[in-house]
Amino acid sequence: MTPGAINYMGAFFMISFGMKLVGCCLIISGASGYGFWLARRYGERLEALEYLRQMIYLLKGQILYANAPLAEAFETVGRRTEGFLAELFLQAADRTYRQEGEPFAQMWKDTVEQMDKDSPLAPKDRQSLKDLGEHLGFLDRDMQERNLLLYLEQLDLEIQKMRGQKQERSRLYTSLGIMGGLFLAVLLC
Amino acid sequence: MDKRDELIKIFPKDIRVILGQVSVDFNQIQEIRLRIQAPLLMIYNNREYYITPSGKLSKRAEEAYLVSRQELKETLEQMSNYSLYAFEEEIKQGFITICGGHRIGIAGKTIVDEHGIRTMKFISFINVRISHQVRGCADGVLPYLYERGDILHTLIISPPRCGKTTLLRDIIRQVSNGNGPEPGMTVGVVDERSEIGACYQGIPQNELGIRTDILDCCPKVQGMMMLIRTMSPRVIAVDEIGSRADLEAIEYVMNCGCKLIATVHGSSIDDMKQKPVLGRMMQEKWFERYIILNNNGKIGNLDQIYDSRGNQLYGGFLYD
Repeated sequence: MTPGAINYMGAFFMISFGMKLVGCCLIISGASGYGFWLARRYGERLEALEYLRQMIYLLKGQILYANAPLAEAFETVGRRTEGFLAELFLQAADRTYRQEGEPFAQMWKDTVEQMDKDSPLAPKDRQSLKDLGEHLGFLDRDMQERNLLLYLEQLDLEIQKMRGQKQERSRLYTSLGIMGGLFLAVLLC
Repeated sequence: MDKRDELIKIFPKDIRVILGQVSVDFNQIQEIRLRIQAPLLMIYNNREYYITPSGKLSKRAEEAYLVSRQELKETLEQMSNYSLYAFEEEIKQGFITICGGHRIGIAGKTIVDEHGIRTMKFISFINVRISHQVRGCADGVLPYLYERGDILHTLIISPPRCGKTTLLRDIIRQVSNGNGPEPGMTVGVVDERSEIGACYQGIPQNELGIRTDILDCCPKVQGMMMLIRTMSPRVIAVDEIGSRADLEAIEYVMNCGCKLIATVHGSSIDDMKQKPVLGRMMQEKWFERYIILNNNGKIGNLDQIYDSRGNQLYGGFLYD
């Protein structure tokens, strides 16, 4: 083998090794990033549920103590808060004011479905939010109170559960991300 | 928003489509009635018609559109703008006033406790009564209600459905705005059943004049006192007086220097004299003018006007 060929192969191995190293780094950082993203998402979902609970308390106050009609109650709460949930309340208020002839439950369901798809709420959170509209507005204030309290109870349970698991889940997602990335890197190399 | 839009908006989609096809003058509609599994009815020009699924008015019951339980529930939802709970107090009294001043009468199963009717459930009957204002219907009466530039204590006596509230409404509007040489006066209205001003979320849907303050859904006795203490009205107007408690409140109003315009159910001066509370008021000449309406011929037929001594000042037909 000529010295030129040896030099050529050496360079080839060096480049190939360098590329593998870069690839491994990318895989590990990508997988770890995904793990961190999942952990952050979990925290965001918890924050969103806590914020939603606060908004439902405000809505309850508007309905029970201010005796405001639904449209006005949604609008007031929507204006006093922010984020995608405030947007949801304002849209619901707008559609309620417009009175397009459909039942409130249907209208609320459509509004929740059109809500920001990138929101941190899980599908089951969206479903229970949709269910809230089933009995909202109809019959007397007692019914409204019970309906809202039931939903608040569900929210409380979910929030408690999430809080209890927060640290564990965050650690799990981040370590799984890093370990998964390392495993993939080893496997591919 | 015209009357057609105002009315159609309170119904669910299917009934909206049907009513949208009805080719009548919505200003002439008096009532629309809905009952579960019963025909959709309309009272138009004093006649009752069935409404067919294609939106035609018919006299044949078998052609009528039948209202379902779901549609009635949705109608309640729509007419309260999805907020039936906000009308709890009105539901106890059996009616809801909606945008435009129209009144929705409701009937179903009442829930009663020691304080009276608590609420109503299984609402199965709805009567949409379309609001009609007759501006200017008091033109002929007003010259009799003033003396030396001041309004007189006036009692409108009329059997039901003869237009006493319509007349009272126009008197309030004209006294408040001022009419001809008479300057406008501050008028306080105690609208116990939301019939005079037909307030929707606090805003009167009927025109009651620029100097009018309304206490909506307020019991007459407390309302009259409250208005005197807080709004210093020159004139107080109330609908359908007659109880002993009213007597004391009216006495208080008159002693405060306010003028009172009120209505009462009755058919004649003699009929009034027989009633214990009103008989006393007449005997003691509390009111300075009595306007008597009847339904001979048409709604709003003026029979007579008397002064406090019983002298007839007017007799005959006054307004359409």
